[in-house]
Amino acid sequence: MILHILTTAPLSDAARQAEQAINPGDALLLIEEAVSAALQPDLDCWKQTDYPVFLLEEDLVARGFANAASHHRLATVDIEGFVQLTEQYEQSITWY
Amino acid sequence: MDKSEDLMVIIRHAPHNSNWLREGLDAALVAAAFGQSVRLLFMGQGALALCKEQQAGAPGQKATLPTIDMLEMYEIDQLNVPDQTLEELNIPLASLVNGVTPLSESQVKALFSQPRLIFNF
Amino acid sequence: MDYGLLVMGAPYSQPAPHSALRFAHAILARGHQLAGVFFYHDGVHNASSLMTPPQDELNIREAWKALHEQHGVPLDVCIAAALRRGVVSESEAARHGYTAFNLEAPFELTGLGQLLTLQQRCQRLITFAN
Repeated sequence: MILHILTTAPLSDAARQAEQAINPGDALLLIEEAVSAALQPDLDCWKQTDYPVFLLEEDLVARGFANAASHHRLATVDIEGFVQLTEQYEQSITWY
Repeated sequence: MDKSEDLMVIIRHAPHNSNWLREGLDAALVAAAFGQSVRLLFMGQGALALCKEQQAGAPGQKATLPTIDMLEMYEIDQLNVPDQTLEELNIPLASLVNGVTPLSESQVKALFSQPRLIFNF
Repeated sequence: MDYGLLVMGAPYSQPAPHSALRFAHAILARGHQLAGVFFYHDGVHNASSLMTPPQDELNIREAWKALHEQHGVPLDVCIAAALRRGVVSESEAARHGYTAFNLEAPFELTGLGQLLTLQQRCQRLITFAN
Protein backbone atom coordinates (compact mmCIF):
# COMPACT_ATOMS: atom_id res chain seq x y z
CA MET A 1 0.00 0.00 0.00
CA ILE A 2 1.30 3.35 -1.07
CA LEU A 3 1.15 6.81 0.42
CA HIS A 4 0.86 9.17 -2.54
CA ILE A 5 2.16 12.64 -1.72
CA LEU A 6 0.88 15.37 -4.04
CA THR A 7 2.66 18.73 -4.03
CA THR A 8 0.87 20.51 -6.88
CA ALA A 9 -2.55 22.08 -7.47
CA PRO A 10 -5.56 19.74 -7.69
CA LEU A 11 -6.01 20.00 -11.46
CA SER A 12 -2.31 19.84 -12.38
CA ASP A 13 -0.73 17.15 -14.58
CA ALA A 14 0.90 15.62 -11.51
CA ALA A 15 -2.47 15.40 -9.75
CA ARG A 16 -3.97 13.55 -12.69
CA GLN A 17 -0.97 11.21 -12.87
CA ALA A 18 -1.32 10.41 -9.16
CA GLU A 19 -4.94 9.56 -9.81
CA GLN A 20 -3.89 7.12 -12.56
CA ALA A 21 -1.57 5.35 -10.12
CA ILE A 22 -3.62 5.24 -6.93
CA ASN A 23 -5.34 2.02 -5.86
CA PRO A 24 -8.03 1.32 -3.27
CA GLY A 25 -6.29 0.96 0.07
CA ASP A 26 -3.65 3.57 -0.75
CA ALA A 27 -3.76 7.06 0.77
CA LEU A 28 -3.31 10.54 -0.65
CA LEU A 29 -1.58 13.30 1.28
CA LEU A 30 -1.82 16.86 -0.04
CA ILE A 31 1.11 19.12 0.81
CA GLU A 32 2.52 22.46 -0.37
CA GLU A 33 0.50 23.87 -3.30
CA ALA A 34 -1.83 20.84 -3.24
CA VAL A 35 -3.50 22.07 -0.04
CA SER A 36 -5.46 24.56 -2.14
CA ALA A 37 -7.80 21.55 -2.60
CA ALA A 38 -9.19 22.64 0.79
CA LEU A 39 -10.96 25.49 -1.03
CA GLN A 40 -12.71 23.12 -3.44
CA PRO A 41 -14.95 20.64 -1.58
CA ASP A 42 -16.48 19.51 -4.88
CA LEU A 43 -13.27 17.94 -6.19
CA ASP A 44 -13.49 14.25 -7.10
CA CYS A 45 -10.88 13.35 -4.50
CA TRP A 46 -13.20 14.53 -1.70
CA LYS A 47 -16.16 12.61 -3.07
CA GLN A 48 -14.58 9.18 -3.68
CA THR A 49 -14.36 6.57 -0.93
CA ASP A 50 -11.63 4.24 -2.31
CA TYR A 51 -8.80 5.87 -0.37
CA PRO A 52 -8.43 8.43 2.40
CA VAL A 53 -7.22 11.94 1.58
CA PHE A 54 -5.42 14.20 4.05
CA LEU A 55 -4.30 17.83 4.01
CA LEU A 56 -1.06 18.82 5.73
CA GLU A 57 -2.10 21.14 8.56
CA GLU A 58 1.08 23.26 8.61
CA ASP A 59 0.80 24.03 4.88
CA LEU A 60 -2.90 24.88 5.28
CA VAL A 61 -2.20 27.25 8.14
CA ALA A 62 0.68 28.92 6.29
CA ARG A 63 -1.58 29.64 3.32
CA GLY A 64 -4.62 30.69 5.34
CA PHE A 65 -6.80 27.71 4.35
CA ALA A 66 -7.16 26.05 7.77
CA ASN A 67 -10.62 27.50 8.39
CA ALA A 68 -11.78 26.47 4.92
CA ALA A 69 -10.63 22.90 5.58
CA SER A 70 -12.45 22.67 8.88
CA HIS A 71 -15.55 24.38 7.44
CA HIS A 72 -15.71 21.73 4.72
CA ARG A 73 -14.88 18.97 7.29
CA LEU A 74 -11.83 17.80 5.36
CA ALA A 75 -9.30 15.50 7.05
CA THR A 76 -6.00 17.01 8.11
CA VAL A 77 -2.77 15.68 9.60
CA ASP A 78 0.03 17.70 11.17
CA ILE A 79 3.68 17.01 10.41
CA GLU A 80 3.77 14.27 13.06
CA GLY A 81 0.71 12.75 11.38
CA PHE A 82 2.63 12.89 8.09
CA VAL A 83 5.38 10.81 9.72
CA GLN A 84 2.77 8.40 11.09
CA LEU A 85 1.34 7.94 7.59
CA THR A 86 4.81 7.02 6.33
CA GLU A 87 5.09 4.51 9.18
CA GLN A 88 1.75 3.00 8.26
CA TYR A 89 2.26 2.84 4.47
CA GLU A 90 5.31 0.84 3.40
CA GLN A 91 5.95 2.94 0.33
CA SER A 92 5.51 6.51 -0.75
CA ILE A 93 5.53 8.25 -4.11
CA THR A 94 5.81 12.01 -4.42
CA TRP A 95 3.98 13.60 -7.35
CA TYR A 96 5.27 17.04 -8.32
CA MET B 1 10.55 -8.51 -3.66
CA ASP B 2 10.48 -10.09 -7.10
CA LYS B 3 14.08 -10.26 -8.19
CA SER B 4 13.01 -10.17 -11.82
CA GLU B 5 12.03 -6.54 -11.37
CA ASP B 6 13.75 -4.43 -8.74
CA LEU B 7 12.90 -0.89 -9.70
CA MET B 8 10.34 1.13 -11.60
CA VAL B 9 11.37 4.59 -12.79
CA ILE B 10 8.54 6.93 -13.79
CA ILE B 11 9.40 9.60 -16.36
CA ARG B 12 6.89 12.48 -16.54
CA HIS B 13 8.87 15.29 -18.15
CA ALA B 14 9.46 16.02 -21.82
CA PRO B 15 12.80 16.59 -23.57
CA HIS B 16 14.23 20.13 -23.75
CA ASN B 17 11.95 21.46 -21.02
CA SER B 18 13.99 20.75 -17.91
CA ASN B 19 16.72 18.37 -16.82
CA TRP B 20 14.21 15.98 -15.22
CA LEU B 21 14.21 13.65 -18.19
CA ARG B 22 17.99 13.36 -18.42
CA GLU B 23 18.46 12.94 -14.69
CA GLY B 24 15.57 10.49 -14.44
CA LEU B 25 17.06 8.33 -17.19
CA ASP B 26 20.48 8.58 -15.51
CA ALA B 27 18.98 7.09 -12.35
CA ALA B 28 17.51 4.22 -14.38
CA LEU B 29 20.81 3.57 -16.17
CA VAL B 30 22.85 3.61 -12.96
CA ALA B 31 20.42 1.19 -11.32
CA ALA B 32 20.67 -1.10 -14.33
CA ALA B 33 24.46 -0.83 -14.28
CA PHE B 34 24.29 -1.91 -10.61
CA GLY B 35 22.49 -5.05 -11.71
CA GLN B 36 18.95 -4.01 -10.89
CA SER B 37 16.19 -4.92 -13.30
CA VAL B 38 14.47 -1.69 -14.30
CA ARG B 39 11.07 -0.90 -15.78
CA LEU B 40 10.38 2.55 -17.25
CA LEU B 41 6.89 4.04 -17.16
CA PHE B 42 6.46 7.17 -19.29
CA MET B 43 3.44 9.20 -18.16
CA GLY B 44 2.03 12.46 -19.53
CA GLN B 45 4.64 14.71 -21.16
CA GLY B 46 7.28 12.08 -20.34
CA ALA B 47 6.01 9.95 -23.24
CA LEU B 48 7.44 12.58 -25.61
CA ALA B 49 10.88 11.29 -24.65
CA LEU B 50 10.09 8.30 -26.87
CA CYS B 51 9.36 10.28 -30.06
CA LYS B 52 11.56 8.72 -32.70
CA GLU B 53 12.00 11.92 -34.73
CA GLN B 54 13.27 14.11 -31.89
CA GLN B 55 16.66 15.81 -32.11
CA ALA B 56 18.99 18.09 -30.19
CA GLY B 57 17.48 21.42 -29.09
CA ALA B 58 18.81 24.89 -28.34
CA PRO B 59 22.52 25.20 -27.43
CA GLY B 60 23.23 22.96 -24.45
CA GLN B 61 20.11 20.84 -24.94
CA LYS B 62 21.46 17.45 -25.92
CA ALA B 63 19.32 14.96 -27.79
CA THR B 64 17.62 12.32 -25.65
CA LEU B 65 17.26 9.70 -28.35
CA PRO B 66 20.82 8.33 -28.00
CA THR B 67 20.06 7.65 -24.32
CA ILE B 68 16.75 5.98 -25.19
CA ASP B 69 18.57 3.85 -27.75
CA MET B 70 21.10 2.87 -25.06
CA LEU B 71 18.44 1.44 -22.73
CA GLU B 72 18.45 -1.90 -24.47
CA MET B 73 22.20 -2.27 -23.89
CA TYR B 74 21.46 -1.93 -20.18
CA GLU B 75 18.78 -4.58 -20.49
CA ILE B 76 16.03 -2.06 -19.83
CA ASP B 77 13.43 -3.45 -22.21
CA GLN B 78 10.22 -2.71 -20.35
CA LEU B 79 9.12 0.66 -21.77
CA ASN B 80 5.50 1.36 -20.85
CA VAL B 81 3.14 4.20 -21.77
CA PRO B 82 -0.47 4.41 -20.55
CA ASP B 83 -3.07 4.34 -23.36
CA GLN B 84 -4.52 7.42 -21.70
CA THR B 85 -1.25 9.32 -22.26
CA LEU B 86 -1.14 8.39 -25.96
CA GLU B 87 -4.72 9.56 -26.36
CA GLU B 88 -4.23 12.82 -24.49
CA LEU B 89 -1.08 13.69 -26.44
CA ASN B 90 -2.71 12.51 -29.67
CA ILE B 91 0.48 10.67 -30.54
CA PRO B 92 0.28 7.34 -32.38
CA LEU B 93 2.36 4.43 -31.13
CA ALA B 94 4.02 4.38 -34.57
CA SER B 95 5.62 7.77 -33.83
CA LEU B 96 7.48 6.30 -30.88
CA VAL B 97 10.65 4.23 -30.82
CA ASN B 98 10.31 0.46 -31.16
CA GLY B 99 9.65 -1.69 -28.14
CA VAL B 100 7.09 0.49 -26.35
CA THR B 101 4.22 -1.38 -24.67
CA PRO B 102 1.02 0.61 -24.12
CA LEU B 103 -0.90 -0.15 -20.93
CA SER B 104 -4.60 0.04 -20.14
CA GLU B 105 -5.86 1.97 -17.13
CA SER B 106 -6.06 -1.19 -15.03
CA GLN B 107 -2.61 -2.37 -16.14
CA VAL B 108 -1.15 0.96 -15.00
CA LYS B 109 -2.86 0.63 -11.61
CA ALA B 110 -1.60 -2.95 -11.34
CA LEU B 111 2.00 -1.70 -11.66
CA PHE B 112 1.42 0.26 -8.46
CA SER B 113 -0.41 -2.46 -6.59
CA GLN B 114 2.60 -4.67 -5.85
CA PRO B 115 5.52 -3.65 -3.67
CA ARG B 116 8.50 -2.50 -5.71
CA LEU B 117 11.02 0.28 -5.46
CA ILE B 118 9.91 3.36 -7.38
CA PHE B 119 11.58 6.60 -8.40
CA ASN B 120 9.31 9.30 -9.78
CA PHE B 121 10.89 11.88 -12.08
CA MET C 1 12.66 2.87 11.60
CA ASP C 2 15.41 3.95 9.20
CA TYR C 3 14.42 6.79 6.89
CA GLY C 4 16.16 8.28 3.89
CA LEU C 5 15.23 11.54 2.18
CA LEU C 6 15.63 12.42 -1.50
CA VAL C 7 15.59 16.19 -1.98
CA MET C 8 15.24 17.52 -5.53
CA GLY C 9 14.24 21.18 -5.16
CA ALA C 10 16.33 24.33 -4.81
CA PRO C 11 16.05 26.38 -1.62
CA TYR C 12 14.29 29.77 -1.89
CA SER C 13 13.01 28.79 -5.36
CA GLN C 14 10.94 25.76 -4.45
CA PRO C 15 9.24 24.50 -1.29
CA ALA C 16 10.73 20.97 -1.44
CA PRO C 17 13.87 21.47 0.68
CA HIS C 18 11.98 23.50 3.27
CA SER C 19 9.33 20.77 3.53
CA ALA C 20 12.06 18.14 3.69
CA LEU C 21 13.86 19.88 6.55
CA ARG C 22 10.64 20.11 8.55
CA PHE C 23 9.96 16.43 7.88
CA ALA C 24 13.52 15.48 8.89
CA HIS C 25 13.04 17.05 12.33
CA ALA C 26 9.63 15.38 12.67
CA ILE C 27 10.96 11.87 12.03
CA LEU C 28 13.79 12.38 14.50
CA ALA C 29 11.27 13.72 17.06
CA ARG C 30 9.32 10.47 16.72
CA GLY C 31 12.42 8.46 17.54
CA HIS C 32 13.27 7.28 14.03
CA GLN C 33 16.74 7.28 12.50
CA LEU C 34 17.61 9.45 9.50
CA ALA C 35 20.11 7.33 7.58
CA GLY C 36 20.87 9.97 4.98
CA VAL C 37 19.73 12.82 2.81
CA PHE C 38 20.49 12.62 -0.91
CA PHE C 39 20.41 15.83 -2.97
CA TYR C 40 19.66 15.41 -6.67
CA HIS C 41 18.49 17.59 -9.57
CA ASP C 42 18.06 21.23 -8.37
CA GLY C 43 18.38 19.95 -4.81
CA VAL C 44 22.15 20.18 -5.17
CA HIS C 45 21.85 23.95 -4.56
CA ASN C 46 21.13 23.18 -0.90
CA ALA C 47 24.84 22.44 -0.52
CA SER C 48 26.18 25.78 -1.72
CA SER C 49 28.31 27.36 1.00
CA LEU C 50 28.05 30.67 -0.86
CA MET C 51 24.30 30.98 -0.33
CA THR C 52 23.71 34.23 1.48
CA PRO C 53 20.08 34.83 2.33
CA PRO C 54 19.13 38.06 4.16
CA GLN C 55 19.71 37.87 7.92
CA ASP C 56 16.02 37.47 8.71
CA GLU C 57 15.78 34.33 6.54
CA LEU C 58 16.91 30.84 7.42
CA ASN C 59 20.20 29.78 5.85
CA ILE C 60 19.08 26.36 4.72
CA ARG C 61 22.59 25.05 4.15
CA GLU C 62 23.39 25.85 7.79
CA ALA C 63 20.18 24.08 8.82
CA TRP C 64 21.22 20.89 6.99
CA LYS C 65 24.69 21.22 8.50
CA ALA C 66 23.18 21.46 11.99
CA LEU C 67 21.16 18.31 11.30
CA HIS C 68 24.42 16.55 10.47
CA GLU C 69 26.18 17.89 13.55
CA GLN C 70 23.37 17.07 15.97
CA HIS C 71 22.25 13.74 14.53
CA GLY C 72 25.12 12.51 12.36
CA VAL C 73 22.99 12.54 9.23
CA PRO C 74 25.08 12.02 6.05
CA LEU C 75 24.46 14.72 3.42
CA ASP C 76 25.21 13.27 -0.01
CA VAL C 77 25.09 15.34 -3.18
CA CYS C 78 24.95 13.82 -6.67
CA ILE C 79 28.24 14.75 -8.31
CA ALA C 80 26.94 14.87 -11.90
CA ALA C 81 23.94 17.02 -10.99
CA ALA C 82 26.10 19.30 -8.83
CA LEU C 83 28.98 19.92 -11.25
CA ARG C 84 26.54 20.64 -14.07
CA ARG C 85 24.97 23.36 -11.90
CA GLY C 86 28.21 24.89 -10.59
CA VAL C 87 28.21 23.28 -7.16
CA VAL C 88 31.84 22.20 -6.82
CA SER C 89 34.02 20.80 -4.03
CA GLU C 90 37.63 21.84 -3.41
CA SER C 91 39.03 18.72 -5.06
CA GLU C 92 36.76 19.01 -8.09
CA ALA C 93 37.70 22.70 -8.38
CA ALA C 94 41.38 21.71 -8.41
CA ARG C 95 40.74 19.03 -11.01
CA HIS C 96 39.01 21.53 -13.30
CA GLY C 97 41.46 24.37 -12.62
CA TYR C 98 38.92 26.61 -10.86
CA THR C 99 39.94 29.21 -8.30
CA ALA C 100 36.79 28.83 -6.19
CA PHE C 101 34.62 26.09 -4.75
CA ASN C 102 31.32 26.13 -2.90
CA LEU C 103 30.75 22.66 -1.50
CA GLU C 104 32.35 21.65 1.77
CA ALA C 105 31.91 19.09 4.52
CA PRO C 106 29.59 17.88 5.89
CA PHE C 107 28.19 17.77 2.33
CA GLU C 108 29.85 15.09 0.20
CA LEU C 109 29.86 14.72 -3.57
CA THR C 110 28.98 11.18 -4.50
CA GLY C 111 27.50 9.11 -7.31
CA LEU C 112 23.91 8.07 -7.93
CA GLY C 113 24.85 4.62 -6.66
CA GLN C 114 24.73 6.14 -3.18
CA LEU C 115 21.03 6.94 -3.70
CA LEU C 116 20.33 3.32 -4.66
CA THR C 117 22.22 2.14 -1.58
CA LEU C 118 20.23 4.52 0.61
CA GLN C 119 16.97 3.30 -0.91
CA GLN C 120 17.87 -0.32 -0.25
CA ARG C 121 19.21 0.29 3.25
CA CYS C 122 16.24 2.33 4.50
CA GLN C 123 12.79 1.05 5.32
CA ARG C 124 11.38 4.34 4.04
CA LEU C 125 12.64 6.68 1.34
CA ILE C 126 10.61 9.89 1.15
CA THR C 127 11.02 12.23 -1.83
CA PHE C 128 10.65 16.00 -1.70
CA ALA C 129 10.60 17.60 -5.14
CA ASN C 130 8.88 20.29 -7.16
